Amino acid sequence: MTDPASTTLKPGAETFAHLGRSVAAIRAELGTDPVSVDAIRDPAIYELEREKIFRRTWLKVATTSELPAIGDYKVKDLPVVDASVLIVRGKDGVVRAFHNVCTHRGNKVVPTSDAETFGRARAGVVTCRFHGWVFGTDGPLRSVPLEDHFGTLDKACLGLREIACDTWEGFVFINMADPPEQTLAEYLGDFGTLFGGYPYAEATTAYRYSTVLECNWKVALYAFSEGYHVPTIHAGSLPGFRGIEHSDFKLIGPHASSTIYGLGMEAAASTAECARVLHGSAAHAPHPEQVPPGINPTRRADFQFELPNVFPNLLIHLAAGCGYPGMAFFTHQFWPLDHGRTLWEGINYFRPARNAAERVAQLHVNALHRNAWLEDTATMEDTFTGIRSGAVDTMQLMDQEFLIRHAARTLDRYLAA
Amino acid sequence: MTDTITLPAGFEDLTELAAHWARATENARSAIRWSASAQDFAGFYAAFMPRLRAALDLLEQVPLEEMDEAQNNLFELACAFAEAAPHHELYGGSADVPHSFSARRFVPGHGDTASRL
Repeated sequence: MTDPASTTLKPGAETFAHLGRSVAAIRAELGTDPVSVDAIRDPAIYELEREKIFRRTWLKVATTSELPAIGDYKVKDLPVVDASVLIVRGKDGVVRAFHNVCTHRGNKVVPTSDAETFGRARAGVVTCRFHGWVFGTDGPLRSVPLEDHFGTLDKACLGLREIACDTWEGFVFINMADPPEQTLAEYLGDFGTLFGGYPYAEATTAYRYSTVLECNWKVALYAFSEGYHVPTIHAGSLPGFRGIEHSDFKLIGPHASSTIYGLGMEAAASTAECARVLHGSAAHAPHPEQVPPGINPTRRADFQFELPNVFPNLLIHLAAGCGYPGMAFFTHQFWPLDHGRTLWEGINYFRPARNAAERVAQLHVNALHRNAWLEDTATMEDTFTGIRSGAVDTMQLMDQEFLIRHAARTLDRYLAA
Repeated sequence: MTDTITLPAGFEDLTELAAHWARATENARSAIRWSASAQDFAGFYAAFMPRLRAALDLLEQVPLEEMDEAQNNLFELACAFAEAAPHHELYGGSADVPHSFSARRFVPGHGDTASRL
């Protein structure tokens, strides 16, 4: 499949050569033995994951484009760390994260009705509805009704409890550890530079789907972490997506990545019409030149998207319009609700439509991808049931499933630490 | 309902189709799609696929925030077609994606927001 016209490396690609692994190197480094399913099956391991992984690693909780204006906030309820997290852009423009917990008696400051709640704080404050305690969007406790009725009240020490928060390329991450063992930049390491530089923030049109899956979070993560399933699971939605190649394996500390190459997806007449609209627009056309240098380093024309696993629970598929027509990138996240329940979130990102036809075409592409996700999610609850039955003790993993093998090893390493 | 729908010049014959399929939001369009038969999908496809190019050409001239009522109706019809076409082209007329998770369990965050916004 190598494009003979593209044998020279993109400038800068050599910087990432140390991440690349051949199939032989992957086999040598990660092994070829079956991998135990204990970490998926055992509820006791889930309790360890909460403490040793989700309370210690950097977790993506928002994008800066979800919080474009001063005072914009998002509340993310995260049962895996027993927390409700308020992510808010302060008057100084800085995005911070706090426990969404009133320091009076522990009520939620911003009430929530779902896993995600959005709003805008007025006058730079949020007010607890229980007794009216008022907090600045930068954290301090501003005012307390009947303050002089408290015998002692040290307001200076009663601000919202801050959570470590930092951004990378417009993605907002938090770390529940106080303080975190590494900065976000240190934690992302070479992943941050490999994927850095793409104009993610320009893709502000986001279509988010979520569902609660009755399975362990890693069953869902692993199902989305390989290309081996595409010709079978997606025979319905992606009949044109034949001859895919999942290659360019990369190991990046706790993270890993790989590339999906293949032929185009415009198999159906309606898709071809929608692709015509999007590919005819500079904003939505494929932009292989925007793909960072370490990804598709030989400029193959059949590049579809880069498929990484950002430990522990985030996938950012970078396509730059080269895969699904007009799609800049898409993300998956897998939030454990308990050992056997997972909130899955899939989000498709496009640049804003400039006219009504581009919006129609984006909705077509979005629907195709949503339908492919419906095919993906169909396996997950059955897989978990099968694993829980005790019928199998191991997963048999082929080369294209190395992201799973690597994530499982990384998980073991964190749990052993 | 049919007589209240206006469509741009050249698309007036599609008012009945628009009355059935055209809706502002993804959730409203999904509800219609989930109850559609193979015959419904085939009829929609036969009527609108030959007009898709012309519809997109017209809508390409219109900024989303400046659509008049007729243009918006055509937009909503085209949105419905964009989401329905795969059921005819790829899924054998099935309202469900074959061998899939229940679409009713997927929650679109934007489901009740008008697609023009």
